[in-house]
Amino acid sequence: MKSNPPKLSLRFFRWFCHPKLRDSIEGDLMELYEERKLKSGKLKADAHFIKDVLFLFRPGIIKPTEGYQNLNTYAMYKNYFVTAWRNITSKRAYAAINVFGLALGIACALLIFSLVRHHLDFDKFHAQADRIYRFVTEEHHGEVEYSPNVPPAFGKAFRDDYAFGEKVTRLCTLNDKLITLDENGEKRKFQEQVAFADPEFFEIFNFPLVAGKADGLLREPNTAVITGQIAKKYFGDQLALGKIIRLGSDIDFTVVGVLKDIPAATDLNTEIYFSYSTMKQYNDWYAADDAWGGITSEIQVFTRLQPGVNPTEVEAVLPTYVQKYRPKSKNVHHYKMQALSDMHFNAQYGGKMSINTIWILSTIGFLLVFTACLNFINLATAQAVTRAKEVGVRKVMGGLRAQLFWQFTTEAGVIVVLATLLAFAASYTVLPFMNEFFNVTLSLNVFSDVRLLLFLIIVIAAVTLLSGAYPGIVLSRFKPVLALKGNLKGGPGSFNIRRGLIIAQFTISQVLLIGLIVMFYQMRYVNKMDMGFDRDAVVMVPVGSRDQKLNTLKTQFEAIPHVEKVSACFGSPASENMWGTSFRFDTRTEAEEFPIYFKGGDEDYLALFGLELVAGRNVTASDTVREFLVNEKAVLKLGLASPEDILGKFMYANGGSIKGPIVGVVKDFHDQSLHAEIEPIFITTPRNFYNSYAIKINMAEAATTLPAIEKAWSAMYPEPIYHYDFLDDQIASFYKAEQTMLTVVQVFSAIALLIGCLGLYGLVSFMALQKTKEIGIRKVLGGSVPQILWIFGKEFSRLVVIAFFIAAPLGWLLMSQWLTSYVYKTEIGVGVFVLELLIILAIIMLTAGFRSLKAAVANPVNSLRSE
Amino acid sequence: MKKYQLGEFEEIVMLTIAILYKEAYGLAIKNEIESRLKRNVSMGAMHTALVRLEDKGYIRSHDGEPTEERMGRPKKYFQITALGKKAMEYSRETRNALWGAIPDVSLNVKFS
Repeated sequence: MKSNPPKLSLRFFRWFCHPKLRDSIEGDLMELYEERKLKSGKLKADAHFIKDVLFLFRPGIIKPTEGYQNLNTYAMYKNYFVTAWRNITSKRAYAAINVFGLALGIACALLIFSLVRHHLDFDKFHAQADRIYRFVTEEHHGEVEYSPNVPPAFGKAFRDDYAFGEKVTRLCTLNDKLITLDENGEKRKFQEQVAFADPEFFEIFNFPLVAGKADGLLREPNTAVITGQIAKKYFGDQLALGKIIRLGSDIDFTVVGVLKDIPAATDLNTEIYFSYSTMKQYNDWYAADDAWGGITSEIQVFTRLQPGVNPTEVEAVLPTYVQKYRPKSKNVHHYKMQALSDMHFNAQYGGKMSINTIWILSTIGFLLVFTACLNFINLATAQAVTRAKEVGVRKVMGGLRAQLFWQFTTEAGVIVVLATLLAFAASYTVLPFMNEFFNVTLSLNVFSDVRLLLFLIIVIAAVTLLSGAYPGIVLSRFKPVLALKGNLKGGPGSFNIRRGLIIAQFTISQVLLIGLIVMFYQMRYVNKMDMGFDRDAVVMVPVGSRDQKLNTLKTQFEAIPHVEKVSACFGSPASENMWGTSFRFDTRTEAEEFPIYFKGGDEDYLALFGLELVAGRNVTASDTVREFLVNEKAVLKLGLASPEDILGKFMYANGGSIKGPIVGVVKDFHDQSLHAEIEPIFITTPRNFYNSYAIKINMAEAATTLPAIEKAWSAMYPEPIYHYDFLDDQIASFYKAEQTMLTVVQVFSAIALLIGCLGLYGLVSFMALQKTKEIGIRKVLGGSVPQILWIFGKEFSRLVVIAFFIAAPLGWLLMSQWLTSYVYKTEIGVGVFVLELLIILAIIMLTAGFRSLKAAVANPVNSLRSE
Repeated sequence: MKKYQLGEFEEIVMLTIAILYKEAYGLAIKNEIESRLKRNVSMGAMHTALVRLEDKGYIRSHDGEPTEERMGRPKKYFQITALGKKAMEYSRETRNALWGAIPDVSLNVKFS
């Protein structure tokens, strides 16, 4: 008679019971159950059964969690490592390619990681950084302009009117200011970036003091806070507190605090702070409570909001300021709030690092590691056949598929760890150069840096799995009988996957190559592009004053031999220093919708920079605003049909304070970097706006001319510091940041290509080895060297072409996207792709050609002699 | 220090194994104890004791043939080992010694 005790209970018992006891106890349970069923019926027997099972659920009977077969697996794991090591040492060339490729990839990934992290860490060290915001302005006139500034009166008004901000601070950052130290009658001069700040500045931002009282810092007028570095530079080992430093020629400040040196990861890197309450002495308008007329790039306002205050709430009240203080401005200003975390990345508001670049770099870093992994997979699967016997023997001895899989993954792990060690050493060596190149201070220290350690562990784990898993699957799949017989041919399936991998690798290489070529073209285009004015051999020298001395010095400059021309001006035709103003034209009653940009320059300006007049005449010599020149763009924007129509008409700029007749129209020239479109501009002659002399010299005689200029300048102005720039350097500096970034992208792309080549070389070597006999037979039967080369060539060229058709559209899409940040840009023509294809084919021929040639010219006797 | 570790219930189980001799398997032992000592023995308690005794090396086991009433599960027969025998003898001797040391009067005292 069949007995059936409660199933669930029985299953529970079987689950928990120690396997060694399971059968005998279950037998007992069954026997007892039968007995009871006969004696007292099924129901009682069931109940007893359940009770018995429950009583069996106790420590001696439950199976232990850590496994009950105490095998000693130490030897097996040791064997994995021994086998791995033997494989590395017996196939040195492949191991070297793998280790070197992976090391290159990982080293770059490490460097990119530290760079990206450095930028992501910017201004993260302030307390409650998530509540810190900067007020910014959107100016809506036609198009929208963004600036990280607000009117000078904004900060105080916001602090007084609203309770949203826990702390509010104004910050007025001034570049290249003269600082004078007067030590016992001996004057020392420095040029520094300085800032006026409210006391709240040091409460919002985490810049700790090393000396001085934190309480009420900068509250007193004429007080200053400097960093330890500046203190050392100025006062050496003397106590800095109580010392006097002078801004410009007349404002004295007493040092009341010394800050710890400013960390590298911040955009607020001014090292000298003055009390904002002294602002009135420096600039009346900046300190005025009604200074709502405009914004200046020198003044910023920061706030730390009260906990729980949403920035959109704050933004909602800000328009009232525009209504109240700028009633006639046609609602041009829109004040917004920018989170501190956005500050470093938002290029619109002057962020130094675009988040796009971060993404591009990260992607390249990933691709670098990825191509190295593809190499590994390709080589490992290609060589799978040579491991077939081993797999066969292991399987016959009872090795499970999973065990084999983990064995091969361990092997990959050993190589990855080796590569990582090498990569670490390499990146450590390269780091100082990179620091210098980017002007940053990155460090790689695994022992003190948890995130770096974590990153390394993740990289090792991910790369091991990525590169070890697929070969592991392929190898562990071998059927032992076939493997031991030795007629294993890799199987068609794996070969196609391998082709797929090669195509993937070629695709990555080609996309990067297309990117490289387009970037190179664009940079060449930018450098070669006619800016519309002469920029060669022009030296820019600052003005020392804006009075009659300015004119005198100009005459003195002109008298220096080999000085061809001199012009006193606001700035060079193309300059980042832009001053836009709204204006009224002719008899029109309304101000124009768009701003017009000011370029001041005297009567020699046009001739010096080679600007062409298309209509009218040049301005006549003057020290004040008398006549105007405008560019063609202004004519166009004003809606006039021809440049002649504008001549003789009046324009009123800067609220009517700058007015006069337009006497000439100049041909358009690039007034900013090529990222920006040409703006409407006007040129006029107000001496009190001039910043620089532009001096055209004969470059051949620069060695004597430059000192002569300096001498004349210093004789006229003994107090301030003299310095000069060449105009083309100034213009090149527009693109400095992106040049740097491009160089990096280019270097890393080139490394990715190199890694790809390495893998290709390894693959070809292996193919050549495999085909030794085939080549021998072909040669014996009359095959020529080119025919044999073509065996290798056709395979790779086919794969390259397939990859090309994937890479070309992808590269085109990505690079068109990249080019959109330039207003004036090169075309991505067919030429780019033809060039790219030629380069990649050349690279492949170079890497694969030598090895295959060696195989093709080998004497068939040698390859066929022994079987 | 105790020379041989043997709990009260364990001793009973061992004695029963000895009584049953060739027929000592799980259920038989349980039934024997229940019938002789008139006490309930749970499967859990008994099997735990058996496992422990085997671990201590006092008994050893071998599998018998599977039978039908046990749904094809083999009986596991237990046997006393030499060490087990020593342990039992030790246990008995210590008790006898203790019994012998009791003065006659001790147990005759009547508390009324």
